[in-house]
Amino acid sequence: MQNFLATMLQDLPSQNPQPVYADNTSIWHHMSQALHQSLDRVLSLLIAILPGILAFFVALGIFTLIGMVISALLRRGLSWARFDDYLARTRGTTDWTPTSSPSALIARGSFWACVVLGLIIGVSAFDASYATAATLPISLLPYLTHAVGAIFLLIAGNLIARFLARSVLIGAVNAQLQYARFLSMGVKWLVLVLTAAMVLDHLEVGGVVVELAFGILFGGIVLTLALAIGLGSRDLVSRSLESHVERSNEHGIPPHSAAPANVSEAIRHF
Amino acid sequence: MATANSISEQPTAPVLADPGLLVLLAPMPSEELERVLANLTSFFPAEGLMVATADALSADSWPGLRVIPTSATNASWTLTAADFLSAYQLAGEHEARAILMLGPRSSSLQSTALRDLANAVLASSADLAISCYDLPPNAGLINSAILYPLTRSLFASRVRFPLAIDLGLSLRMAERLAAVAQKSMGLNQSDALLWPVNEAAVAAFVTSEVEVGPRATPQPAENDINAILASVTGSLFADIDVKAAFWQRVRYLPPPRYPFPHAPSADAATDISPMLDAFRLAYTNLQEIWSLVLPPNTLLGLKRLSVTEGAEFRMPDSLWARIVFDFLIAYRLRTINRGHLLGALIPLYLAWVASHINITASGTNPERHIEAVAAAFEADKPYLVSRWRWPDRFNP
Repeated sequence: MQNFLATMLQDLPSQNPQPVYADNTSIWHHMSQALHQSLDRVLSLLIAILPGILAFFVALGIFTLIGMVISALLRRGLSWARFDDYLARTRGTTDWTPTSSPSALIARGSFWACVVLGLIIGVSAFDASYATAATLPISLLPYLTHAVGAIFLLIAGNLIARFLARSVLIGAVNAQLQYARFLSMGVKWLVLVLTAAMVLDHLEVGGVVVELAFGILFGGIVLTLALAIGLGSRDLVSRSLESHVERSNEHGIPPHSAAPANVSEAIRHF
Repeated sequence: MATANSISEQPTAPVLADPGLLVLLAPMPSEELERVLANLTSFFPAEGLMVATADALSADSWPGLRVIPTSATNASWTLTAADFLSAYQLAGEHEARAILMLGPRSSSLQSTALRDLANAVLASSADLAISCYDLPPNAGLINSAILYPLTRSLFASRVRFPLAIDLGLSLRMAERLAAVAQKSMGLNQSDALLWPVNEAAVAAFVTSEVEVGPRATPQPAENDINAILASVTGSLFADIDVKAAFWQRVRYLPPPRYPFPHAPSADAATDISPMLDAFRLAYTNLQEIWSLVLPPNTLLGLKRLSVTEGAEFRMPDSLWARIVFDFLIAYRLRTINRGHLLGALIPLYLAWVASHINITASGTNPERHIEAVAAAFEADKPYLVSRWRWPDRFNP
């Protein structure tokens, strides 16, 4: 024990305390070096993708201009050739809105085709320039290319949701369902939830959480609607079945479906 | 200019010995077919008649009658583009001088009605002879609410049933209708409805209205007001859109038919509450859609109507005219999907029907009310023309 203590006491003075830093400037030196390297990396990446970004805007701009020129030429050419009159004569259809005569539609279509072409070429150029700089990852950039598709998905989903909601609302009102608005809202949110899930999946945001949340929400809405329709339409279904049985017994013909037609036997709409 | 006079009120034209009349019959049971042929041959010599029918007909029963077998038409409840095209082609092949088209259940027509329809195009200068039916008060309501007032106000024709299913056609009228039908057929729309009165008005052909008395009106196989209203009204709206250049000019109506034909008032016990419920339900749910189509004044009128009690429920004629015109403009502009648009019109139409029944139940002659509605459409025509020409600039 004494030997051990003696050894310990002997060793202590002989240990030179190691300095934490070699000198006062070294920490700043390392920090500035790290910052410089990071800045270099970001600038290098920006320099690498800048041509791509510029190419994107240039392609979009040039093709938009080309689209405008082609559209104007087509509009004038078709107007000179009296294309609308020809179509009305031969096809007999004037199923166009006043601002969308056939020639206007063609001109507008060609313009937007050019814009979309420019968009595709621009995105492709941007994608190529990013691939060359992929050794320097920045987590936000991959979403730029996916964002275009996500925006299209979002727009299409909104349009479809609105269309379906209106269809269901008008159909349900004409079938005299008291919960028409609720049904319409349900369908609308079904489509919107589906759209949101698709958009997030396309952007690769959320991963499993989105799938899980989507499954729960979608299932919940479907269950709610099923319960609502099942409970709320009992009378309608029973009336329809009774009418079917009665008519089948009397005339052997299938029943009609709309409630308003049943309002009175004395009323004949046609 | 088209006229609309009742042939029945004029001296009956002598029956021609060889009329060269092609009669196109819709498919019907054999006993009904026999009755129609008996009615026809009671006034016209069988040798001068050509009967085109898809039904089996024994030549022995009708000696001298030229029977032309045809394929079954699509006329389950009305005449379609395929029928008009077929009629003209058969008339050309068999060198007929005029055509008589008889819709389903035409056996309920009196023989004099068939004679008058045929004579109107054979012996007089009319190109289109169109039937005027004597229907019960609560029948043909789509016609009374929309088809007749629109046709009268825009095409200056007093033809009471623009979509009549018993017609007499001159060859040039048939040719014009066949040309229109051909276009529909080219678009794979053989079931498309045609509007002979509108065509005759545009072509400046003479139209003659023939009182044919009561008739059993065939009903669509699928008796669904949603489908009927959408198809009939949509077809008329589309035809009006095509002929916009014609009806925007000022037209003068032929003199009115007075006195009104006697029509018994509707049964006071007719239950209108389901229609009112449908309208009120729609008012609470469809405002968002209606507000895209209808101006605030009209919406205010509908709001007042929605809180009116059943017995006092009256839709002003001017309000109904404005509603139909605004829907017509929205149809043209595609303000919303056309299927949605016509679906949103149904509760408003039911409200008009409820109002019409209330008015007739109070003792007003139904025909007088329908004439008043048509007059309201005529009075509001400048609004339609203005909005048609400048939809964005003129929106009250």
